[in-house]
Amino acid sequence: MSSAAQKPLPRPAPESVPYWQAAREHRLELPRCNACGKFWFPPSRSCPHCLAADFAWTPVSGVGKVFSFVIFHRVYHPAFAQEVPYVVALVELAEGPRLLSNIVGVPPEAVACEMPVKVVFDDVAEGASVPKFVPLNAPAR
Amino acid sequence: MIEPSRELRDVCAVVGAGHSRLGQVPGVSSLDLLVEAMRNAIADAGLTVSDIDGIICRGPDESYSHHQLIGERLGINARFSTSLDNGGASQILAVALATMAIKAGLASTVICGYGRDSWSRTHSSKEANIRNETRPDSQLAHEFGPEYGYFGAVAAHALGATRHMHLYGTTRDQFGAIAVAFREHALRNPDAQMKKPLTIEKYHAAPQVVSPFGLYDCSLRSDAAGAVIVTSRERAHDLRQPPVLIKGFGSFNNLRGWFNDDNMVVTAAKNSGGTAYRMAGLGPDDVDTAQIYDCFTYMVLTQLEDYGFCKKGDGGPFVASGALRMGGLLPTNTAGGQLSEAHVEGMLQVVEGVRQLRHTYPAERQVADAEIALVSGHGGNTVCHSTLILGRA
Repeated sequence: MSSAAQKPLPRPAPESVPYWQAAREHRLELPRCNACGKFWFPPSRSCPHCLAADFAWTPVSGVGKVFSFVIFHRVYHPAFAQEVPYVVALVELAEGPRLLSNIVGVPPEAVACEMPVKVVFDDVAEGASVPKFVPLNAPAR
Repeated sequence: MIEPSRELRDVCAVVGAGHSRLGQVPGVSSLDLLVEAMRNAIADAGLTVSDIDGIICRGPDESYSHHQLIGERLGINARFSTSLDNGGASQILAVALATMAIKAGLASTVICGYGRDSWSRTHSSKEANIRNETRPDSQLAHEFGPEYGYFGAVAAHALGATRHMHLYGTTRDQFGAIAVAFREHALRNPDAQMKKPLTIEKYHAAPQVVSPFGLYDCSLRSDAAGAVIVTSRERAHDLRQPPVLIKGFGSFNNLRGWFNDDNMVVTAAKNSGGTAYRMAGLGPDDVDTAQIYDCFTYMVLTQLEDYGFCKKGDGGPFVASGALRMGGLLPTNTAGGQLSEAHVEGMLQVVEGVRQLRHTYPAERQVADAEIALVSGHGGNTVCHSTLILGRA
């Protein structure tokens, strides 16, 4: 197994380019409807709550809780061979939408549903940052 | 509420059922596996291929106009034919659509089936085996997943399992009871892919894949196909097999997504099943055997709740009681299911539901006095669902 294997970088659809641009600057931004005021995810150009097409990319608090999570033991991609076991969680943001991400900075066995978390940014490559989550009470890194 | 049409109840029957070789069938394409199952279904019904005037099938996902390729190999034209696109929910939808087409006078005798070459595909190279992915690249996520090391159907369903465990105290022992019961059934099925006994100790000792799922929570990679033939009730009575009536069917799709609402613990089976029960004029207490889409152990447990065989949250104790075993309250996946017979995205569940209602199995495989079978189909990135209720004529 090649130790040089690269982790997959996000390959944005046209409608999610602003999400990844904000992430690169360490901001978590989601589309927010100018008609009904709700946020949504994943990105699209119309609101799945009211179908309005008038929206703005809007910063969110970056705070949420673990809705559910799993622990990867199997290596599906050689770039993750050194990472297992690692946690993939569905994080429910305070603003409502749920995002897949990793919970980092804590051993997998310490992760639980409803655990409060906050966003951090992992600069995975030149010009690419990926939002991940740490326990809310973790010291700033 | 929209009421399903009772005019479709008991108007059609399944008159033929067949499967291909199951398991590791190297060197045979998914198309030829499906044709093998269809040939067996046609022979089982006592029909000839020229009696077939409808084809409803599905994928493999990357093939275009799949039913056309099947018709070419069967050597027939069709009054009605199409390919479906609801993942593992497609196979029951094929039977439902066949019933509607026959009732509408668009066809008289429709063959439905699905085949796949997932074992060969995931064992074609070392890289393919590591990825363990059966979908073509064009269908995989390119963001919001792979950058986090999130790959495959195991993890998606495991997220639901974790949530269910959190809400209801469900345990891996209870998931294990499902895997062990289905393996017992597979050992009585000479064609099943899995041949060795499974104990709860062996279940717990197996490697974790994506926790809370270990090896035996996950369905098989199989080269396999299944097919059934649907015709009118009148025509069915002249054919070779005891006809099995289509009493009701339903469909529901939680298109807002697996990650939204409560969809990972209250699945689309709830609404799909409700429709099928109303069409059939039946309820969960009437069901003698269930053939449930078991891509993962947890999905059996949550669907049994959604179908009303027990209350939401009580699926763990229900499966741990031995209810799913032969002689239990609700013998389920009596040929071994996708966990132990072979994984054909729900098609073999339809085949087994039909066979149980013919009462032609040896005693050790027969659900005693089975009159009603419920079959479920689940798929399409975990949100599409279909239900079929079959009954003895």
